[in-house]
Amino acid sequence: MSQLANLTSQCIRCGFCLEACPTFLETGEETESPRGRIYLVRSAEEGTIAWEDARMPLDLCLGCRACETACPSAVTYGEILELARDRLERRPGFSPKRILLNVLARPSKLRRQLAFSKFLPGRRVPWIVSKLLSGQPPEADRPELPSEIRFPPFEESDLPPLKGEAAVLEGCAMRVLYPHVNEITRRLLRRVGYLAREFEQECCGALHAHNGNLESAKAMRETLFSALPQGLPLIVNSAGCGSWLKESARHGRVYDASEFLLEHGLAEHLSQKGHLESVVTYHDACHLAHGQGIRMEPRALLKAIPGIQMVELNEADTCCGSGGIYNILQPRMARRLLERKWVNIERTGATIAATGNPGCHAWIAQAAKEHGETVEVLHTLEVLERALSG
Amino acid sequence: MTDEAMVRELGRLLDPERVLGGAAAQRAYDCDAYTVDRSKPTAIVLPESTDEVAAIIRWCNENRIPFTGRGAGTGLSGGALPALGGVVISTKKLTKILEIDIENRCLKAQAGIANKRLSDAVREQGLHFAPDPSSQTVSTIGGNIAENAGGPHTLKYGVTAQHILGLTLVDPQGEILQFGGKIPGAPGFDFVSLIVGSEGTLGLVTEAWVRLTPLPNAVETALVSFPTVRDATQTVADIIAAGVIPAALELMDRGIMVALEAAFGLKYPDSAVALLLIECDGVGERACDRVRMEINQVGEICKANCAIDITIAQDEAERQKLWLARKKGVGAMGRLAPSIVTHDGVIPRSKLPEMLDFVYEVAAKHNVKVANLFHAGDGNLHPCFYFDDRDPNQVEAVVTAGEEIVRKCIELGGSISGEHGIGVEKADLMPFMFTPDDLRLQAMAKEIFSDGSLCNPCKVLPNQKSCVEHKRRWRGVAW
Repeated sequence: MSQLANLTSQCIRCGFCLEACPTFLETGEETESPRGRIYLVRSAEEGTIAWEDARMPLDLCLGCRACETACPSAVTYGEILELARDRLERRPGFSPKRILLNVLARPSKLRRQLAFSKFLPGRRVPWIVSKLLSGQPPEADRPELPSEIRFPPFEESDLPPLKGEAAVLEGCAMRVLYPHVNEITRRLLRRVGYLAREFEQECCGALHAHNGNLESAKAMRETLFSALPQGLPLIVNSAGCGSWLKESARHGRVYDASEFLLEHGLAEHLSQKGHLESVVTYHDACHLAHGQGIRMEPRALLKAIPGIQMVELNEADTCCGSGGIYNILQPRMARRLLERKWVNIERTGATIAATGNPGCHAWIAQAAKEHGETVEVLHTLEVLERALSG
Repeated sequence: MTDEAMVRELGRLLDPERVLGGAAAQRAYDCDAYTVDRSKPTAIVLPESTDEVAAIIRWCNENRIPFTGRGAGTGLSGGALPALGGVVISTKKLTKILEIDIENRCLKAQAGIANKRLSDAVREQGLHFAPDPSSQTVSTIGGNIAENAGGPHTLKYGVTAQHILGLTLVDPQGEILQFGGKIPGAPGFDFVSLIVGSEGTLGLVTEAWVRLTPLPNAVETALVSFPTVRDATQTVADIIAAGVIPAALELMDRGIMVALEAAFGLKYPDSAVALLLIECDGVGERACDRVRMEINQVGEICKANCAIDITIAQDEAERQKLWLARKKGVGAMGRLAPSIVTHDGVIPRSKLPEMLDFVYEVAAKHNVKVANLFHAGDGNLHPCFYFDDRDPNQVEAVVTAGEEIVRKCIELGGSISGEHGIGVEKADLMPFMFTPDDLRLQAMAKEIFSDGSLCNPCKVLPNQKSCVEHKRRWRGVAW
């Protein structure tokens, strides 16, 4: 039996995943639900329908894996989706999606493109690009290159003695769009006694894996692991990358920054040295909550900050629609989910919305901008560092 | 009419984006959670109002096209199977709560909203919608009404029928009718009770007034393991005999424990062959003491029946963990085989040990695998057969074994269904339980609403026109 046939047959069609699925919540359509998609993949694999018939429902899937959290049968939907997309994309010829992935996976290229795009009119992704990729008008703003942020030097007396070294995954999007988050990661590591050691690194392949290009994704992941200095833990601050790296057999050394920092005592450090007067809410990045089961850790760190009032977000772990490059490939659905997320965020009355992934960060920040910047959108680690260094 | 023409014409009645056709949609809607029988619809519509539902049903009548209502598609007897093709009318765009009346403890909601969202909406006011089928996070109130759904807490709180005050029904001709309302006990014939449990054969319910029940302020939950099924079932009988009415009294056998261990790593004592989940609850000032006394009394009864281990939840988190075993037990069986069929017979409680022995015997005879998890408190069995639905021989064996179990239930003075409905699964078994006169009376009740056979055909009543010859097409072989 093929791997896909085997994986899809584990679904008993109980339907417990339905209300967890963002696209089902929006459309109410069985074809846009996890159960429906699994059934279509199984049917295509068995030859009952054509693979092309399954394409649209699979394209509209965010890959958020909220269904895995809901599934009582422990069906590995993420794996099914990766394999099915890989099967669908395995056709030769011109693929705008592949070109986009290649730009995104090369920070120098991406930086150059963004610098150039300043001269384009409007603030959205160019219309022609959107048409080519999705057949729909664009919804996502072009990312802007950030201005440099400087941090005050450490107070040496605040720092614990060194315990060891750690490597930080710089991430393709993170490195270009939010380089200061990488700097903050290094600073927070130092605050719990770890020195960040640099290493030569390329794209980890997460975006490729989630968009139907498994083979190159796996090769990229292998290259990354090979370059990683022996024995060092790998600290990741992008949820999508962390989730993909943890799927590897060599995952034992990969940690999301929040879980590593909490384990090594950052909460105690925050409660003693930190302070921030703010109402904060937290959005669960899909690849943290559903992909890695990390929910408690970021909340525990935020709650440890004196002065912070945490307000839980309704539907906190429902996808915001960013979904890696989903908001470029499926602008219309991405927009619906963003508006849904925004309404929930506004209802909390929070002044800061924290999240642990650059994709969600940029997308929700766009909503904040469109709605008058009443809420500041930050990476969780940014909030922590702000509480410590002002 | 061609498939394309049908989709096009329906697209004139409602937004074309809410009319689905084509191979993928037809496949996705060809069954619900009962997977033994499958049949494709031509088109699927997702109306957003009662008026749209009425327009669709009138159009189906004009064109003599069968139609079938569908909620979340979590039904276990094939109630949402479009048996003769035609149009599936999904309620999943009718998901609003229309009015909440806290003072009179009721609310009005559209049919497609998930059961649990009703309770979520009034939790802060200390209320909930009591019927809680295991699928409550997803199954719709409309589907619950159609199947008269139960759940673990029905032992104390009753099934869906006891919690529906009024309905808006679009009848099989497309007329919009109102029955009941927020004030209970209207004079005259009780049509609400007739419609609840009619499995979508009397029309499509689009809105309902439901009763809200105070949330218990005291809850005690215990999970108890036993060395034999007989010890567990004797405990059930003894608890009821002692005059205790637990809110829930659920039994799970070894097969379920194996599945739960595979799916979630939950561990149970090695010598445990049966688990009982027992929950006592109460409302009011002194409820805590009263409920604590009840659970202690239950504990004593368990001990007297050779219980191996008694775990009483100390807080809500532990309570949820104990409930995992029950709520996710069936889903966990997906780990063991690609498909399951869950039966739903009811027997007098006193016959539980005898019946379970019979279930194991039948399973062994037909060489099918079975696990049991069920509402022991009201004698509602749920033997779960797990099998590979791609193997016609296994499908056949499961169907045959199921029929033998259902016959035994009747023989022991029980019923063929407790809460899952008859659907297509058990329509042919109705004559085992009812005389031809009984069945004729039921058919006449149906005729009050419809003289045709377009509305959810082939369900509940056996030997309906043009269903018999289609049956072979639905079953296994045609996938």
